[in-house]
Amino acid sequence: MIEVEHFTKRYGRDTAVEDFSATIAPGEIVGFLGPNGAGKSTLLKSIATWSDPTSGRIVVDGHDTTKAPLAVRRVLGYLPEHNPLYEAMNVTAFLRFVARTRKIAGARLAERMDWVVRACSLEGVMKKRINQCSKGYRQRIGLAAALIHDPRAILLDEPTHGLDPVQVAAFRDFLFELKEGRAILFSSHVLAEVEAICDRVLVIHKGRLVRDARMDALRDEAREAGTTLEELVLGWVRDTPAAAAATASEVTA
Amino acid sequence: MSAALGIARRELGATFDSAVAYVQIAGFGLLANALFLNEFFLAQRLELDAYFDALPLLFAVFLPALAMRTWAEERKHRTVELLLTLPIGTTSAVLGKYLAQLVLLGVLLATALPLVAMLFALGEPDAARIATGFAGAFCAGALMLALGGLCSALTKDQVVAFVLATVVCLLLVLTGREEVVGVLDGLAPDLAAGSFLYERVSILPHMERWARGRVALDLVAYAALGSAVLVWGTARFLDANRD
Repeated sequence: MIEVEHFTKRYGRDTAVEDFSATIAPGEIVGFLGPNGAGKSTLLKSIATWSDPTSGRIVVDGHDTTKAPLAVRRVLGYLPEHNPLYEAMNVTAFLRFVARTRKIAGARLAERMDWVVRACSLEGVMKKRINQCSKGYRQRIGLAAALIHDPRAILLDEPTHGLDPVQVAAFRDFLFELKEGRAILFSSHVLAEVEAICDRVLVIHKGRLVRDARMDALRDEAREAGTTLEELVLGWVRDTPAAAAATASEVTA
Repeated sequence: MSAALGIARRELGATFDSAVAYVQIAGFGLLANALFLNEFFLAQRLELDAYFDALPLLFAVFLPALAMRTWAEERKHRTVELLLTLPIGTTSAVLGKYLAQLVLLGVLLATALPLVAMLFALGEPDAARIATGFAGAFCAGALMLALGGLCSALTKDQVVAFVLATVVCLLLVLTGREEVVGVLDGLAPDLAAGSFLYERVSILPHMERWARGRVALDLVAYAALGSAVLVWGTARFLDANRD
């Protein structure tokens, strides 16, 4: 469903991501784990067609992101980092705008609106302006906008940022419900969150993929090494004592 | 095209949801109509020439103010990433916002309808001349709005976008004034830059001709081609500056 082949992204002389390859199949929830600045958002933005790869290619549901970006956007649901929303719009108008832009109209519009409102628990805020909604609601509004067209591939960039523990638990259950037939990639720097939600984890550090493994295999590996999962992952993203200290505060359990 | 219309609808909704648009429209209407009425009572002629004469400078200030938030706000709040990862092309998105701006331009010009009604109530003004005046003003305004849209895409700061667009719009207008042409030609007689700008660049002579009922399609071609290039340029700039 999502195929990343030798993806490299450079900004001038800086390399954000280098030679990254991975595939995410339908029915998989894959966690994208790494410290801040590791390159997670850079890759997600390129999968979402926001920016083109410097080299390599990304294919979503058979469509190349640089050759057929509109076809990719039709099958993709994307929640960007920082969840940008049209603050002055009310929630209903915003979701209708996104739906209409995706050519959803008539009975299907009503059906999809009903679904996202129920699935994202937005019943209480539909008539409110977005800037009057709490952080938790705003995340759910962004998620509703990403899901309104029933996408087959879903990208979520730090989706639990700003949610309280109850909301995170609800979000986890919601992702499990969505999993059937969909490829879901979500980024986080919180290992516990990835461990609780994902079937598989991609660990990225300094723009390079340092591990692509199933969660149960990682747990076994940690057990065999006589360490914790957290220590195991920290071992892949630390290189010097100073860097390790900095990284440890970013990749939290 | 339906995607562009959807964007235009959202833009208009957002614009009229804010008090700023009403203040801008009311301010423009009051100022333009007051300038006209002053001339009208002095000259006592059943024509809108004084209104159309005031428009170029008013446009050069008010239209950049209307256009300044178009893309600068989207870039500042990062909603541009949301918008341009929806299944619409960048050119369609730019066109949609531009269409909304053209509707606003129509609303600005509609603030002169009471003046038109007054002229017809008082006598029989030259309807064709009034119509060509409005058509010429719309063409020139459309070009300035496209320019304002491009300036808005160049920066995340609305004030910078406004100042930049106002300066360029003022150049388009002022290079059509004889005193400016004279000064520029005098600075470098061999280059005759003032004359060149007057004949090839300034929008003022075109607007003046249409306001006097002298229709020449070169204004339509200038505005249509210029706007198309600016809309296209805005889209290409946005595509090239995704960060």
